[in-house]
Amino acid sequence: MLEYAFRGLLNGTVYALLALPMTLFFTTAATVDFAVGAYALLAAAVATAIPGPVGVLAGLASALAASSVMAVVYVLLKRTSEGGIRVALASFGLSLAIASIVLMVWGTKPFVRQTFMTMLEFGGLRVNPQGLVNVAVSVALVGATWLVLQRTQLGRMMRAAAVNAQGAELAAIPVIGVQCGTLLAGGLLGGTAGLLILHSSGMDFTASLGLTFIGFAAAIIFGIHSPLRCLAGGLAIGVIEALSAGYTSGMVTSMLPSAFMLVVLLSGQLRAGRYSGDRP
Amino acid sequence: MSLFGSRPNTWIMAGVGALACAVAPLNPVWLDSVILTGILALISLSAGLSFGQAGILSMAQGAFAAIGAYATAVCSTRFGLPAWAGLALAIALPSALAWGLARMVTRMPELAVALATLALATLLEIVARNWDAVTGGYVGIAGIPPVEGFSVGWRFNILVWVFVLLAVLAYENLMRSAHGRALNIVRHDRTRAMADGIAVAPLLSAMLATSGAMAGAGGWLYAHYITYMSPGSLDTHASISALLMAVVGGAGYILGPVLGTFLLNLLGKLLPAQEAQGLFYGGALILILLVAPAGLLGWLQALADRRTARRARATSNAAAPAAPAGPAAQAGREADNPARAAEPAR
Repeated sequence: MLEYAFRGLLNGTVYALLALPMTLFFTTAATVDFAVGAYALLAAAVATAIPGPVGVLAGLASALAASSVMAVVYVLLKRTSEGGIRVALASFGLSLAIASIVLMVWGTKPFVRQTFMTMLEFGGLRVNPQGLVNVAVSVALVGATWLVLQRTQLGRMMRAAAVNAQGAELAAIPVIGVQCGTLLAGGLLGGTAGLLILHSSGMDFTASLGLTFIGFAAAIIFGIHSPLRCLAGGLAIGVIEALSAGYTSGMVTSMLPSAFMLVVLLSGQLRAGRYSGDRP
Repeated sequence: MSLFGSRPNTWIMAGVGALACAVAPLNPVWLDSVILTGILALISLSAGLSFGQAGILSMAQGAFAAIGAYATAVCSTRFGLPAWAGLALAIALPSALAWGLARMVTRMPELAVALATLALATLLEIVARNWDAVTGGYVGIAGIPPVEGFSVGWRFNILVWVFVLLAVLAYENLMRSAHGRALNIVRHDRTRAMADGIAVAPLLSAMLATSGAMAGAGGWLYAHYITYMSPGSLDTHASISALLMAVVGGAGYILGPVLGTFLLNLLGKLLPAQEAQGLFYGGALILILLVAPAGLLGWLQALADRRTARRARATSNAAAPAAPAGPAAQAGREADNPARAAEPAR
């Protein structure tokens, strides 16, 4: 029981890292980037092709490049229409395209890499040291994002763009620029998550949509407005997933992220009128 | 215009369908592609109806089709019922589910609807993978008999296109009815529609139910054509493809989804490798969203409008050649508003 919960916590920190881009982009641009899972997939695929720390850098760079494609598309889309749904559709297209490129170049083989051969033991708990690395990286990144949002000029601009885009624009805040920056940061965060997953449980070319799902579920479960809630949401999903993997069938485990998302959405999160631009 | 009467889209569809039925049997490979294109067009039409008209970005159309396919597969393999009995079930089950889903989601903003339908589709797919007793789990259900009287390829092809034609006819009739006009107001401004006395939620639910029925019929055709149904056959990717084809062709236009399916599915056959399909589809979607947000048909209509406006300007110039800049400038202004520029009274 304790072991499952602990393992779930370790996984959950990575999910928090996937949830973070969702939260950031949703609060600053009121739409969803479905390609976050694809950035993670691309980073993992590129990192397997190139050995050593260069591979890690190349993975991150490729994720950043992919998200900059998304940023360009975003800017162009914003010129013609206001609707956030088109951005979401376009990010779907990008996600499909990236998954297809990965399939073409790397084939169907799974990506996984083990860095540590030995397991650490803490009073009966066997832990892969990679898990601790994951926790350290994720917590550091979530903390850094929180600090940036709350304590810096950039963070204030982001929060202003989130609360009232028009007002922020009138206050000379480059809203589109802030939103693009958020997309790029999302690429880096997603890429980092992909690298961490590559070094722990691994993934294959079908993973992108599933990762996006887990990220979104973790982002909305406690409300989509704060990076700290992302961390809590990621941990919660990780723990519940690990517990259900231990005590129930695989079916329940694989249904969890979607079921969570459905329940949270149906319970009235993202309520009509608040974000959709509808009349009140 | 009088040639097409009051149902131009149906007539165009009848012509295209007849052409498809006449040309496709010349080559077995074409026949297979054309049949699959027809089935996909039906599912894509359902996505067009829900997204383009009702504004519900449903990512569960593939799941609705899968329910239809499983329903008829179970009926015909387990109980030995005829295919037409399966059709009733294949239409009733998905539309009931779609109605229930719509009752829950119509109050949400469109992004939440997209996510909720996607989540539901994923859940249904997982259920199909694991419910061994009914769906056969990962292995699926094999040996679904073909529809009696339509087991030959070319006959089945005709059946498929008759279904598509019926769907287009129903769709066009719907859009010309009071319900269709109400739907246009809802899409334009929901609050205004409520003030006009339109029961928005039941209307949208009925639309999604209709679209679910269309998708279910597509699934029925699919199951009886392929004669095999597994969780991977009509999965989330099928839902996304159907939506993508509708958007590429023009989701707001009745024939947009059919055009999109034709283009993407037939051009997709020319790709060097099956793996490149996602790249092609995704690239096409992004390109269309950037270049022609209303889809290919919307783009064509904009072109035609511009042409009409130019011709109107030319005739007004010719009619008053001696007049100074006044009328020409006026015509130029009118060109910005093609509907007015085309009015013959001027």
